[in-house]
Amino acid sequence: MTETKRPSWWPWLLFVWMVVVIWAAFYYAPSARGFKGESARIVFFHVPQAWVAVLAFCVNLVFSIRYLRRRDALDDARAAAAARLGLVFAVLATVTGSLFARVMWNHFWNWDPREVSIAILLLIYFAYFALREAVADEERRGALSASYAVLAFVTMPFLIFVVPRIYWSLHPDTIINTRGSIDMESRMLHVLIGSLVGFTGLFFWLYALDVRLARLRQKHQQRGEV
Amino acid sequence: MPAAESLFWVAAVTIVIWAGVFFYCLGLARRVRRLEEGE
Repeated sequence: MTETKRPSWWPWLLFVWMVVVIWAAFYYAPSARGFKGESARIVFFHVPQAWVAVLAFCVNLVFSIRYLRRRDALDDARAAAAARLGLVFAVLATVTGSLFARVMWNHFWNWDPREVSIAILLLIYFAYFALREAVADEERRGALSASYAVLAFVTMPFLIFVVPRIYWSLHPDTIINTRGSIDMESRMLHVLIGSLVGFTGLFFWLYALDVRLARLRQKHQQRGEV
Repeated sequence: MPAAESLFWVAAVTIVIWAGVFFYCLGLARRVRRLEEGE
């Protein structure tokens, strides 16, 4: 008999947490100098979305390597769930970045090195799902997509951290600048950290749900085979 | 873009994204729970 999971309270704690963060982003944090209008406030949401995308691709790498070593179908499902969420949050980071670009530079898309590198990264991870869809055999799909995920991950630090620092970019300085320090007003930093915590919580919630669904799907498949 | 207009867009996009993902999660959690209870 399976244990019935009762509705939990912590999603509502997360909800209240993020309501406070959103309120603080607009009322507690001061306006940033050197930016048009209030566009800089997007940083409190854009950076955590990008962070969650990187975190998700790291989780994808860990479970892909684990799949290659143990050949457990659940590891493959975990890796796919993480990549799916990484892709969603990378798209959200691109959308919020485009909104910032529209306010600052009058266009949603400016072919800036950072915009191009995130577009390439999105294509790389879209291809991961194209590959998964193209292979019908479960074991072959798992092995191929895990190998591909390892290669895809190698490009990620290069596209996100290296390319935008090599070329001149419209993009403002990163939070941790090239000197390794954080030049941010303390109230802004509080809001940013709060948002990072909230988005990380959201990621793990979504990820846990996706894995539970994969487990159920697996059970159904096993029953179908009997 | 004037400050008020940019503030409106930043707030609108932020709230739509956050609320959208949160309520999607709630719906998904309910669905997963129902499926697990049916096991």
